[in-house]
Amino acid sequence: MFELLARSAKYIFICLIYYFLLNFLKIMVADLRKDKDKPQDTGFCLLEDNGQKYPLFNINTIGRAEDSDIIINDPFISSKHALITKKGSSLVIQDLHSTNGSFLNGKKIKRPMKLKEDDEILLGTKKLTFLRSETFGAKDRGYL
Amino acid sequence: MEPRTEAIYNKNIALTALIGILASLLLSIHGGSFSPLPIYGGIIFMVIMFIGYFLTNHFLAEQDPALFILACFIVQLGLIMLYRIKPESAVKQITWFGIGLILFFASSLISRYWIGIQIGSFYYFIITVLLLISPLIFGVERWGSKSWIAFQSFSFQPSELAKITFSFFLAESLRHWKIKDPLYFFGQILVVLGLLAVARDLGGAMLFYFTALIIIFAATSRWDLGLIGIAGAAISGFIGYQLFGHVRVRVKAWLNPWEDVPGKGYQIVQSLFAMAEGGFFGTGLGLGRPDYIPAVTTDFIFSAFFEEFGFLGASALIVVYFLLVYRGIKISLSIKNSFLSLAALSITTFFGIQIFIIIGGVTKLIPMTGVTLPFMSYGGSSMVMSFISLGILNGIKMKAAGDEIHG
Repeated sequence: MFELLARSAKYIFICLIYYFLLNFLKIMVADLRKDKDKPQDTGFCLLEDNGQKYPLFNINTIGRAEDSDIIINDPFISSKHALITKKGSSLVIQDLHSTNGSFLNGKKIKRPMKLKEDDEILLGTKKLTFLRSETFGAKDRGYL
Repeated sequence: MEPRTEAIYNKNIALTALIGILASLLLSIHGGSFSPLPIYGGIIFMVIMFIGYFLTNHFLAEQDPALFILACFIVQLGLIMLYRIKPESAVKQITWFGIGLILFFASSLISRYWIGIQIGSFYYFIITVLLLISPLIFGVERWGSKSWIAFQSFSFQPSELAKITFSFFLAESLRHWKIKDPLYFFGQILVVLGLLAVARDLGGAMLFYFTALIIIFAATSRWDLGLIGIAGAAISGFIGYQLFGHVRVRVKAWLNPWEDVPGKGYQIVQSLFAMAEGGFFGTGLGLGRPDYIPAVTTDFIFSAFFEEFGFLGASALIVVYFLLVYRGIKISLSIKNSFLSLAALSITTFFGIQIFIIIGGVTKLIPMTGVTLPFMSYGGSSMVMSFISLGILNGIKMKAAGDEIHG
């Protein structure tokens, strides 16, 4: 009697266990889909001299135009001035043929260049510093 | 939480309870006569689990409910095996499960509010060292390693607690994804590993070594350090083989268990026989022979589970463990703060490597080392500490989500 029950119950157990796994798989797929849609914060930011901070995402256009990701209103900056994109694990800056040019640590940007921490970017006359958001946060929030 | 996700979580907690009810009904008529113990146990487990689920969902805002559900599911499967093998130990295990849930709740809240406090990597190092020295002074020797502290009938392994402090130590030392003072940092890690080797807890030393290696690699992404680490593992493995007699025994039993079946190879051979007996669907609950396997309630519980639930059940169990690790890595990846991210990652890594070491050991993939299977093996300190570290992971998730909202 017990043997018969146990032998049939084993298929029920396997089905239940796999149903449990299937449910978690659904949640996993939904999670991945949600993550893909939202712009991803790269953990880096640009810091302007006046203290204005711009977090960087996967793709960021910088310029005077209203539809730029980072809008800087300055007469020396072109409407589409520069582009910062994520390549692998690092961020790359390129100039978008701007009138006054872009400079990385004093050198003119001609082809796409990799950004390192504490790099100084000069767009027109505006100076921006490339930082990890975390190091920036550490300065004004102490414990984080 | 979205309503649809919440409905799936609710369904899964109900499924966990359903598996428990079916198994306890079946086991109550196991052995020819009716015994109500598994049914009572099943009901008590269910009540504790539902109260815990309700309380954590209600009071812990922004928590990750999957951690709780996956842990309960594994505990449920472990309990079923314990009823089957030794009902008295299952009763104790339920008590530990209850205590574990209370501590899960407490450690979630504590780490939610206090994990941001900086006390410096040196203090974490000192706490870790004190925890590892304590069994050398007050401890008793068990199963070849002097890493236990015993009070009357209750015994505890301080290295379980040291895993958590060591995780914080690693995360604090690698703040901002950099090693500030390499010589000092590697010296500290060597001291910790040395203490574990002195206590002859070699499974523990392996666990700490690989966790440190993975965290350093994850934080700095330096291939040279990773390669040096792997070479170091090979060299220290060789030294361990030459130096410690019981390492030689374990490695020989792994290379060829059939050489000495009644002696050195006995454990692993019985474990392999049990798995072979299981086949794809298993023998069915209550129809296997777990009494042949030594240390079946602790180290070899996976083999007993494999025998009665088969290859399909056992591989599903591995996937459940994998999901737990996946959730931990997901939490770690979603956090930008280096300390919290690395702390979450190293707690997860401890889980993952421990699971790999013990499941690999009983299936003869790697040499057998005596570590417990988290949430499943019989044993108070393993269960309680697994729940505490899971709670810390949950607290880190809650803290990160809270910071995002409040800026």
